[in-house]
Amino acid sequence: MQLQKTQSDLKAGVVVFLVALPLCLGISLACGIPLLSGIISGIIGGLIVTTISNSVYSVSGPAAGLTAIVISSITQLGSVETFMFCVFLAGLFQLAMGLLKLGNISTYVPNAVIKGMLSGIGIILIIKQVPHMVGYDADPEGDLYFTQSDGQNSITELTNMMNYISPGAMCVAAVSLLILVLSEQNFYKNDRWFGLIPAPVLVVVMGILLNISFQSSTFFAISKEHLVNLPVIGSFEELVTTMIKPNFSLWNNSQVWLISGTIAMVASLETLLSLEAIEKLDPDRRPTNANRELLAQGAGNILCGLAGGLPVTSVIVRSSANIHAGAKTKLAIVVHSILLLLSILFIPGFLGLIPNASLAVILTYTGYKLAKYQLFKEQYRAGWDQFIPFIITIIVMLRTDMLKGVGAGLIASVIFIIRFNLKNTFETVEDEIEGRKTYLIKLPQHATFFSKGFITQYLSKIEDNSTIIIDGSINKSTDKDVKEVLLDFNQNSLQRNIHIHLVKFKF
Amino acid sequence: MEPKKDMEAMYRRLLDGNKHFSMNKKINDPEYFKKLSLGQRPDYLWIGCSDSRVPANEVTSTESGEIFVHRNIANLVVHTDVNLMSVLEYALVYLGVSHVIVCGHYGCGGVRAAMSNVMYGHVDNWLRNIKDVYQKNQTELNAIKDEDKRADRLTELNVIEQVKNLAKSAIVQNEWKKRPVHLHGWVYGINSGLITDLSVIHDGTEDIDPIYRFQI
Repeated sequence: MQLQKTQSDLKAGVVVFLVALPLCLGISLACGIPLLSGIISGIIGGLIVTTISNSVYSVSGPAAGLTAIVISSITQLGSVETFMFCVFLAGLFQLAMGLLKLGNISTYVPNAVIKGMLSGIGIILIIKQVPHMVGYDADPEGDLYFTQSDGQNSITELTNMMNYISPGAMCVAAVSLLILVLSEQNFYKNDRWFGLIPAPVLVVVMGILLNISFQSSTFFAISKEHLVNLPVIGSFEELVTTMIKPNFSLWNNSQVWLISGTIAMVASLETLLSLEAIEKLDPDRRPTNANRELLAQGAGNILCGLAGGLPVTSVIVRSSANIHAGAKTKLAIVVHSILLLLSILFIPGFLGLIPNASLAVILTYTGYKLAKYQLFKEQYRAGWDQFIPFIITIIVMLRTDMLKGVGAGLIASVIFIIRFNLKNTFETVEDEIEGRKTYLIKLPQHATFFSKGFITQYLSKIEDNSTIIIDGSINKSTDKDVKEVLLDFNQNSLQRNIHIHLVKFKF
Repeated sequence: MEPKKDMEAMYRRLLDGNKHFSMNKKINDPEYFKKLSLGQRPDYLWIGCSDSRVPANEVTSTESGEIFVHRNIANLVVHTDVNLMSVLEYALVYLGVSHVIVCGHYGCGGVRAAMSNVMYGHVDNWLRNIKDVYQKNQTELNAIKDEDKRADRLTELNVIEQVKNLAKSAIVQNEWKKRPVHLHGWVYGINSGLITDLSVIHDGTEDIDPIYRFQI
């Protein structure tokens, strides 16, 4: 029994590793950071975060969702070393959030804003990956701003890259895209053999094969800068010297703290969201302790900052691969991390055969899944109160940065909530009973000052010689503002021959 | 007796309350009364106590039209009671209710009065039925020293006896020949708001003494 469990864990660990490797490399590539950083983050995520977290299936590592922030942060800070310090600080923030039991923060962010944020991330991923797909790697650090420092903007960049097309890379991208699209079809998923191979693995293998076969051709050959570039590491000491070291000198810079806070918020949000999704995939539906998860993620990011790794979050693609591959315990995730470590120690040359275009396509596809057309349609159908905050989050995010986007989305949501409160908190009905106009006003559960405008307006329309029933049966609190309006009305009701009847309510 | 408060206001309250009731129902469902006016098809007959604290619809969170109700002091089923027997027949034969519930309640004034030797008047005649229940079970009841607990137990025994009375009636037995009808005995706790099911479900004549079984 125990042996069987271990066997399934080993198998799942290999599958997760195969899915994680191209993602770790690809996300680093998308972030414009040495590819080793993504691998380091995958190793720390699987070893440290998993050990502390109480989720059996959640795989943590570098997240596509954070690329947008990483890119803009590094551009703003102008230094990868300082960015690593921010990751370290973000880890401390998460640790504090876990200790303060803020694990339920994600429930306070409206669904529309979260979906907008994820779609925005998806769109950014796609825009930033297209140049890699055609083999134009000149501005991989292209920041998140629409206009870029070199006077180009994201669109002129796209036309600009046409002059630098690498036919080999384009071929790889086209084949990779085809594989990914086909892999979503039922015949692939249900196939006895293909169904077992994770699509990204097939993409990477095809990329390597095409790269090798193109080497003899002058037209198609993919040059070295378009291939995965990993340092060859001979020993563990060498690995340590190759890692990016955090630069602590800017500890008194406010921008550093703002960026750290943003990373902590978004990483925590993404972690908590993917945990929610993982819980739904878990065959046993085991709940995850959100506060403990924040502690685990915090510890992971502190280490990532120190070791020069990308920030970690719990990631849904790798976690679901883990569940579907039949993992039984946390051992599977540990195995995946050990394999990641071994791969950079022993096969960096082999990994160097992977074309960047393959990774770019995998990331673009991830981006597309985040910003699917169906999602836009769904949000549109859900009504304006959902669609407007959703679309505002995306637009502001694309024009400025993620934090401002989420902020704008939150404001839009709040405006809709207030509007809803102004309009719909009071239920009223009018009737003519025995020749007397009769009004019924049901006080809402919480009559706040928001409703003052409505109640004033409603009372002003009430005719003389009528009956008005005020029903407080569901009312728990009434603000002074509202009470005053009712009291004023009560005072001159007698001379207007208005009869007031109170049900479960006292002035 | 002194008037409790202003007589006029006291009764106006009910009429105002009624307007509130009517409008409140219409907020949630403008067709509410139109639908009710089409007729009733309740699944339950409730035989309960007249006590003001045990309103059938309110304690079961049900709406108008769902329960056919008969209430009298101490929820008694007396075979010579023309009123109750008419209600029973109408509910079973014409409305087709499936469940008949006798619901007593702890702290019942009628049960208390029946346990004492005080003479109250006309009502003593009615409460004689409970005294009969006491006499039938006096060994068990006299063994209970605490008066409150003895009253509670008599309340339960009274409910069980009234359910049996229903089973002994020709109306119920006639209906049993045609379709399933369940008889239930419940006790409502005024201090908790909760109903205890005494688990005395009758769905045939097997549970009653052979002498009461009619040939139908």
